[in-house]
Amino acid sequence: MSLISPQLKAKFDAVVARYPKGQEQSAVIPLLHAMQEQGGGRLTEADQKAVAEFLAVPVSKVHEVATFYTMYSLEPRGRQHISICRTLPCALCGCEGVTEAVRERLKVAPGEVTADGEFSYEEVECLAQCHLGPVLQVGDTVYGNLTPEKASALIDELARKGGAAAAKKD
Amino acid sequence: MEPSPKYLTRNFGNPAALGFDGYSAAGGYAGLKKALAMTPQEIIDLVKAGNLRGRGGAGFPAAVKWGFLGKTDGPKYLCVNADEGEPGTVKDGPLMENDPHQLIEGIAIACFALGIRQSYIYIRGEFYKAIRIVEKAVEEAYAKGVLGKNVLGSGFSLDVAVHPGAGAYICGEETGLLSSLEGKKGMPKLKPPFPAVKGLYGAPTIVNNVETLACVPHILTLGADAWNALGTEKNGGTKIYNVCGHVQRPGYHELRHSVTLRELVYDVCGGPLPGRTVKGVVPGGSSSPILLPSEMDVRMDFDSLGKAGTMLGSAAVIVMDDRTSMVRALDNLLHFYSHESCGQCTPCREGTHWLYLISQRIVNGEGRPGDVDRMLDICGNMVGNTICVLADAAALPTQSYIKKFRAEFDAYAAAGRRIALVGGAQEKAVAHA
Repeated sequence: MSLISPQLKAKFDAVVARYPKGQEQSAVIPLLHAMQEQGGGRLTEADQKAVAEFLAVPVSKVHEVATFYTMYSLEPRGRQHISICRTLPCALCGCEGVTEAVRERLKVAPGEVTADGEFSYEEVECLAQCHLGPVLQVGDTVYGNLTPEKASALIDELARKGGAAAAKKD
Repeated sequence: MEPSPKYLTRNFGNPAALGFDGYSAAGGYAGLKKALAMTPQEIIDLVKAGNLRGRGGAGFPAAVKWGFLGKTDGPKYLCVNADEGEPGTVKDGPLMENDPHQLIEGIAIACFALGIRQSYIYIRGEFYKAIRIVEKAVEEAYAKGVLGKNVLGSGFSLDVAVHPGAGAYICGEETGLLSSLEGKKGMPKLKPPFPAVKGLYGAPTIVNNVETLACVPHILTLGADAWNALGTEKNGGTKIYNVCGHVQRPGYHELRHSVTLRELVYDVCGGPLPGRTVKGVVPGGSSSPILLPSEMDVRMDFDSLGKAGTMLGSAAVIVMDDRTSMVRALDNLLHFYSHESCGQCTPCREGTHWLYLISQRIVNGEGRPGDVDRMLDICGNMVGNTICVLADAAALPTQSYIKKFRAEFDAYAAAGRRIALVGGAQEKAVAHA
């Protein structure tokens, strides 16, 4: 249980309290989100086991959830993970060019992490921001009306922000 | 086109309304106060008279759905479907981000009318901003006595909690949503029993869309007649439409149901890009059958679009201009549906998968004789043969794209080479494909 710090445990208790007694399994999704955030964007087997033990549900049930939903990643991600929408409204407005610009700028394939650990990216299905297409999402921020040039410039900006954040930590 | 007053979006652009005081100052919570002085049955009858249709996509009368709620002395639930994700759809996100108390007020009225004391708002996980804003508004609503014990001194108690999703289109299907809320894979459940009888944790449950509930306070304050006057026959109120794709001014708008698809695309959103013409229009989200330019004089209500062989669905209009390859457009959607099929029903799991594989064959210039008919044959084995309608949502557009653009599909299959999704100006952007 060492993966669950006292602060995290307090947060978990508050989440579990939202659901009726005996329905603790309902908390699996929010708890996995919290574990993934703590783990820098990746869910490990130990994370899943910790959630299963905390909620007293079989680890297989937690693993089912961790592998069914697209927001969970069992593989490492960059400190900044970029989700690029690929679905029709964005595609009509040129999202393929945006993905290509991101690929050229980061020089890795979707799902891979850049050598400095800063970035990873993937194509995702509809982000429900269709009037702003093409869009991509980084963390909780959505960027819209992109072109290949704007996407490339955005990554420069994100890289500067990432560098600044790292300097602050040191 | 008759101009539309703003109700659902009246607080958009007014950040003060994000807070309880600002929302109340703008007339908020008047509907709840009115409701608390009525009997539950009076509220249900009023919403029924207001012809409120389910705005998640099905258009089922909301008050009729409420009427199915099973009688029990045990717990009952209202689950709010905020898992917006039907391609093209942008309405529930803005409703939560711009006016969270409007949703909370709708929830409180519905729960009071139905004797429900616990509600969960299931918000798609990617909507970080909406989750943050709604959670904050819920917290404030508790502090102000709108939620919790003894709502506004009425003796009625209600708890509301936000539950995040984690990325799965299928959780927008109401029984898939309930599975997900129970902490499981988002797999839909066989109906009957309907959730109103056996839903969350096996208890009677109503699942309503965000926009549906956001309408409820306005029906209370305006009354059924005034609300109906905003809409068309059996389609009460105003509606939020989103328009995207190849138009000059994409965006969402609150309008009367009487607006036609042509007015929406040309008058409200500026029409196609300069020098372009409309080739096809999806009227109600990617799952709705496509319409031709000649079919755009249809009114944007549930019944008119139903008669036109398509549906209002989530009122998400996707415009495709004359540069668009309909074969590639359908292919994009088939990737979506095969990716989003939960996999429990064979006709859907295999059907969406094979539709995409065959489509890819054609798209990559490797189509085989009979492939287009083979796709239609697969569709015939999908529709109506599965637990939920995701299979239909893939098959119906497939049938309509092929039926309405058959010559283009046959020509592409015979061409033996890859064609851009959007030709002309964007040919360069997709040349690597």
